[in-house]
Amino acid sequence: MTILTRLEQWKEQGKISPEQHSHLAGLSRGEPFSLFLELNVLLYAGVLAFVAGLGWTVSTWSQQIGDVLVLTVLSTILASSFWYCFSRAPAWSPAETPAPSPIFDYVLYLGSLIWSLELGYIENRFHVLSGQLNLYLLATAGLFFFLAYRFDNRFVLSLGLSSLAGWFGLTISHWSAHQDAAYRQYALLYCLLVGVGGAILQRGGLKPHFFGTYLNVVANVLFWAVLSGVFNRDEYGLWVLALLVACGASLTWGLARRQFAFVAYAAVYGYVGVSSLFLRGVNDETGVLTYFAVSGVAMLVVLVWIGRRFGRRA
Amino acid sequence: MRVYSASSDETLRARHLLTDWVGEGFLTKDQYQLLEKETVSELRTTNIYLRLVLFLFTLIIVGATAGLFYVVSRPSDQTAGVFFLIFAAVCYAAAEAAVSQARLYRYGIEEALAVCSVGFLCAGMQFALFSGNPYSPKPDAAQALVPAVGVAFSLWIWRRFGFSYAFLAAMIFVIFLPGYWTSSPSAQHLIVVGFYATGLAVVAAVRSRHRCDYLEEAYSLVEAFLWLGIYLAINLKLSSFDLPGQWWSGSRSASEFARPFYWGTWVLTWCLPPIVLARGLRQKDRFVIAAGAIVAILTFVSNKPYLGWPRHTWDPVLLGILLTSVAVFLRRWLARGPGGIRHGFTAARLSGKDKQWMNVGATVLGPLSPHSITPEPQTSSPDFRFGGGQTGGGGAGGDF
Repeated sequence: MTILTRLEQWKEQGKISPEQHSHLAGLSRGEPFSLFLELNVLLYAGVLAFVAGLGWTVSTWSQQIGDVLVLTVLSTILASSFWYCFSRAPAWSPAETPAPSPIFDYVLYLGSLIWSLELGYIENRFHVLSGQLNLYLLATAGLFFFLAYRFDNRFVLSLGLSSLAGWFGLTISHWSAHQDAAYRQYALLYCLLVGVGGAILQRGGLKPHFFGTYLNVVANVLFWAVLSGVFNRDEYGLWVLALLVACGASLTWGLARRQFAFVAYAAVYGYVGVSSLFLRGVNDETGVLTYFAVSGVAMLVVLVWIGRRFGRRA
Repeated sequence: MRVYSASSDETLRARHLLTDWVGEGFLTKDQYQLLEKETVSELRTTNIYLRLVLFLFTLIIVGATAGLFYVVSRPSDQTAGVFFLIFAAVCYAAAEAAVSQARLYRYGIEEALAVCSVGFLCAGMQFALFSGNPYSPKPDAAQALVPAVGVAFSLWIWRRFGFSYAFLAAMIFVIFLPGYWTSSPSAQHLIVVGFYATGLAVVAAVRSRHRCDYLEEAYSLVEAFLWLGIYLAINLKLSSFDLPGQWWSGSRSASEFARPFYWGTWVLTWCLPPIVLARGLRQKDRFVIAAGAIVAILTFVSNKPYLGWPRHTWDPVLLGILLTSVAVFLRRWLARGPGGIRHGFTAARLSGKDKQWMNVGATVLGPLSPHSITPEPQTSSPDFRFGGGQTGGGGAGGDF
């Protein structure tokens, strides 16, 4: 029985009104057909391509076109973007607020990216902060958090979180350096700050719908940091304990809130960490493969049980 | 032929639509609770996260078990091939059993088993039949049997279980076929296009019978894959292996193709996007519209390398302005129609899924640094260089 037949039946049985029937039947047939998602993707891709091209042009030709022209162009775009946002934004509300216009979020995102571009350019050309790029990142993170909360924008919130991570020295390229222990500590501090900050803001009713973004970022950074400790040759015991605690917390949170991404994090990161422990120093191929076969079955059984108990499509 | 009955699929589809509609306020909570009881399915489903994790662990189990057999018995290539063929049969039987006995539906386990059965079948045939063959630069038509079987079995999995990515796998196997039949690059491209075009004709004919039913979305996705495949096979600048070098230097590799063929494909790269977009819009088909938009952008992006013109650093700026202008114009044009609707299209959001996708996209793509998608500066003087920064973020990397 197709959905159209079902709707017809439900209307005849009085379970839905004739108006609801005509509306829902229309939606099922694609009448009207919404291009909402496609237009948003086009806008996002357009902004990203524009800023990427601008950055590429500036970094390649700045000597030829001169600092004044570069800064004038960047400042004009920046000022126009922020003027547009501040002039059109509705009064601030701590609750989720819809954007005042369909392009609003993307204009703000454009302004934020241009801000990064311009600040990076100024610092690299004039060394205003005497090479203290960390300060620039901290200021940028602060600005992005302000803009995200003022205009209720997840794009800019994600930029803010990544800038803050940059300030904490979390750039991925640095993981290959020798100061792993220091970076792990910074990562944990970052998780603590972001996690506690996000929780306080949520409890205070300030854009509580952002909390999911905070938690996902914190969970992933935390697991990466802890796993890197587990992979250590020495002094990994504490990190193993931390991994087990993190997995337990993630699993509990995921099941309690029915946010199964956290169940998946616990399963995958936990499995990787525990497997690295069991297989440490094991060179026997048979032993390794037996481990994967047996542990895989065990994980599958547990996950199927979780799926049957909790995990219907969410 | 399908392992799931039409009524089961329709019931699940109705259930998902009800969830979406109540989320958007088109139905009241009471109505939802009443109607939900009529859409109870006997199939066992799960959410996307557990599905992915179950898929992963099933792959680990199957891979480790096969590896264990291999390591313990250390067979010859032919014997290993037979082992793999047996594994293929076992995996397929297990996938069938997971559906018929445990009633799993998009649960990850049966999907991984079906995927493994395709992989084992191809590996088994390769080892069992062709492992002793010395390498020869000449195409050997007999060896085409392996990808041909890969195509056929992937299509079977797609029809039987409805996994769209199995169709994509079949399309990928098709790419390997012409190499066994001819060494001419032009002929290889044409053969691939021929296969995809035939598939497209069949799908277009079949899907007209499935408007508004549970198969509509599956056929829509498959048609979009085929359009994309045809375009990628036609666009010589995208299906070339030396892509970065050619793009950067702007030089054409027309030498390996006859001039009429090369320029014929260039004309086609401009003809195909409007055709795909027009079909998508006429059918109101989301995936085909997306395929049309993607091939249109790819045409703009690959045009200069095609013509042998040098690329400029400001090309992405122009592309960005074009994309944004098209989006803003379309949105405004649609919004000015009666009730925000023109020709059956609207820019308004009608489904909760769209908002969900937007939120996930904003979280994942928000921190994407534009600098990460642009090449390194083309020219640099020794006394002036951006770089030396120690940290990155907020859209600008440390080496900006």
